[in-house]
Amino acid sequence: MAKRVAFAQLSSCWGCDQALVDLHFRLLDVLPDLEVVYWPAVVDYKLSDLKSLPDGSVHLGFVEGSCRTKEDVHILELMREKSRLLVAWGSCSCYGGVQGLANTWPLAQLVQRKFIKTETVTDSRVPEENVPGFVEYIIPNTDRVRFDIILPGCPPTSDNVYDAVVALLTGRPFDLPDTTVCDECPRERKEKRIKEFKRTYQGRPDPEKCLLDQGYLCLGFATIGFCGAQCPKANMPCKGCFGPPPSIRDHGAKIISALGAIADMSPEELENAFPDPVGSFYFTDYAASYIAKVSAGNSGDKGDGEDRR
Amino acid sequence: MTEERVIKIDPVTRLEGHGALTITLGKDGKVKDVQFNVTSTRFFEKFLEGRPMEEAPRIVPRICGICPIPHHLASVKAVEAAWGVTPPPAAIKLRRLLIEAKQLSSHAIHFYALAAPDFVFGPFAPPGVRNVAGVLKHLPDVAVQAIKLMQFGQELCRAVGAKAIHPTLGIPGGMLSPLSEDVRDEWLKQIPEMMENLQKTVDLAKKVVNDYIDVITKVAVTPTYYVGLTNNGVHDIYDGKVRVMNPDGKVEVDFDPQDYPKYVGEHVPNHSYATHIYYRPAGYPDGIWRANTLARCNVADKMATPMAQAALEEMRELVGRPSHHTFAYHYARVVEMVQAAENIQALLEDPEIVSTDVKLSDVEPRAGDGVGIVEAPRGTLIHNYECDENGYIVRANLIVATNNNIAGIEKSLMDAARFIFEQQGHKDLKLPDPIVKV
Repeated sequence: MAKRVAFAQLSSCWGCDQALVDLHFRLLDVLPDLEVVYWPAVVDYKLSDLKSLPDGSVHLGFVEGSCRTKEDVHILELMREKSRLLVAWGSCSCYGGVQGLANTWPLAQLVQRKFIKTETVTDSRVPEENVPGFVEYIIPNTDRVRFDIILPGCPPTSDNVYDAVVALLTGRPFDLPDTTVCDECPRERKEKRIKEFKRTYQGRPDPEKCLLDQGYLCLGFATIGFCGAQCPKANMPCKGCFGPPPSIRDHGAKIISALGAIADMSPEELENAFPDPVGSFYFTDYAASYIAKVSAGNSGDKGDGEDRR
Repeated sequence: MTEERVIKIDPVTRLEGHGALTITLGKDGKVKDVQFNVTSTRFFEKFLEGRPMEEAPRIVPRICGICPIPHHLASVKAVEAAWGVTPPPAAIKLRRLLIEAKQLSSHAIHFYALAAPDFVFGPFAPPGVRNVAGVLKHLPDVAVQAIKLMQFGQELCRAVGAKAIHPTLGIPGGMLSPLSEDVRDEWLKQIPEMMENLQKTVDLAKKVVNDYIDVITKVAVTPTYYVGLTNNGVHDIYDGKVRVMNPDGKVEVDFDPQDYPKYVGEHVPNHSYATHIYYRPAGYPDGIWRANTLARCNVADKMATPMAQAALEEMRELVGRPSHHTFAYHYARVVEMVQAAENIQALLEDPEIVSTDVKLSDVEPRAGDGVGIVEAPRGTLIHNYECDENGYIVRANLIVATNNNIAGIEKSLMDAARFIFEQQGHKDLKLPDPIVKV
């Protein structure tokens, strides 16, 4: 019997959808086993259709994106009610995503820049009619509702998606690897004594040697080995978009402590090398960091309170 | 006669992004108001501040997972403009290959997965069937050609950009990896089959256009301004000047990227988080423009490649220039797919595409203000960053492709709503028998 499946998109780029479509002919392997009951990107069912389903009647629910608006929170809660197994699909859903970088500003400043103080805006106002309103901060979906499966990646590769869907359809366990990008990277590594960090546009990286050994900030050593090391294989240092392996709780904290050990530099030199620590050490998972959670916690709620503008 | 009635369609489906429609019918049965409510935004303009500018090309693709490549390239061009950097010619050819590959796959996914189900099953078939899974089930041959075209485009993006979704290899000063001869040869081998699938797509599109000509010429025919890049009047999606055409078909201006604030305005509606981009000199709402496939085909004097030019001429015979027919966007999409395919072939056959001279090694940041413009599948895309002397972003402004169309979408929805609710025009439309009856 086909499994009932729902795909919901919260605030996100929909790249996870594209990764699913990029299964190409492998889609034909899995589609006959899926009865799509909600998937706005592809099928014309409406939110009212999802609402009218009995609770727990969807076998597999996939949630992409994180909660930037109050509508996102509503859809997330609805997906939890309707789904037997709920999957956090992609780094936004697992860790808040790149939009979590906005958490270092109060909402009022974000809104101000977008709608009020923009050089091309000719009549500024904050939209209020038939729009849902924003939440104060991005917090990971996993802190809002219980998830059964975590599938990180920005986006997860088509292979990741395929493996997860097949495991879920056949009832096999699906566990994340506790390995790093370095374990998948073919570059030659040496004992690290970094004296100076280079920015990604500087010089020409040696295609055979470890990028971190060459002084490029490659975050592969602290990032889950789930992507096939696509970027370092092509001369681009890892930016950590898949988040950490399961045994690392705070991605950026781990990176900072490791850099202290492998860099032959004073704390002051290290600090000067990275004027943007939040953006450098967290990419898609700042909202899941201890430091972001502490600041969001100070607002006294889950960020769903009234806008402070 | 009756009470005021509100029709809500939530969410709008078969698109990427978050939107709903709110149509208000007055007591007199007239359409009082049509709103396209875009219900999410993530504030990239703000959280880019303080980041090293060379990292922007890896952050901004996350604006859109369906068209990450145009964001990546508009971004890297903006950085290069601010720092006064000109990448080697081979790097520009790789970027052109990347954006054409994306154009092909994005247009294929739009045509086959988003639009075709309505034409294949007819607009009144139940939603459970009227979708891409239904096409896969009922028309396996069409599905195979669709999947092969999408696969070709996406996998070529991966070959050139390391990742098909959220590419990473564009860097101020060039590209981080060249294309190897072996990989180039593999892609060249696939060209004949790709061209065959493209021809089948063109044939299917022509059939659909002829079948639905009554719909195309009667529903949502909405005069607006049009905007798109051209290279001296020739259709180009990577570089050039931005051309604006008025509703009468007269070219108003060809402006340079850095002059965009003079010509581009953003109206903030009270009912949408996506702003309405418009032609600033004409004011709002008079200056509402549309971008995307039909707009580019309207503003261009001609296409860059021979088969695409022939396809454009055929299209213009049917719908004219400028065409205000909203449904002709599908036709223009196919014209552009032809150009993407021909450009891909020409770039792969160019010996310089495998040059290893693809990256400068002496790029230096400087304080500056740079604008990068490309054409994303859904329209003109503008990235503008200002940085300090160390190359850290102090201000970012983004004019995202889709936003060029929001006001135009609303305007054409108003026309469609009046046609349906006031004139009951849909009852007399000549609709063909669906290709597949369910």
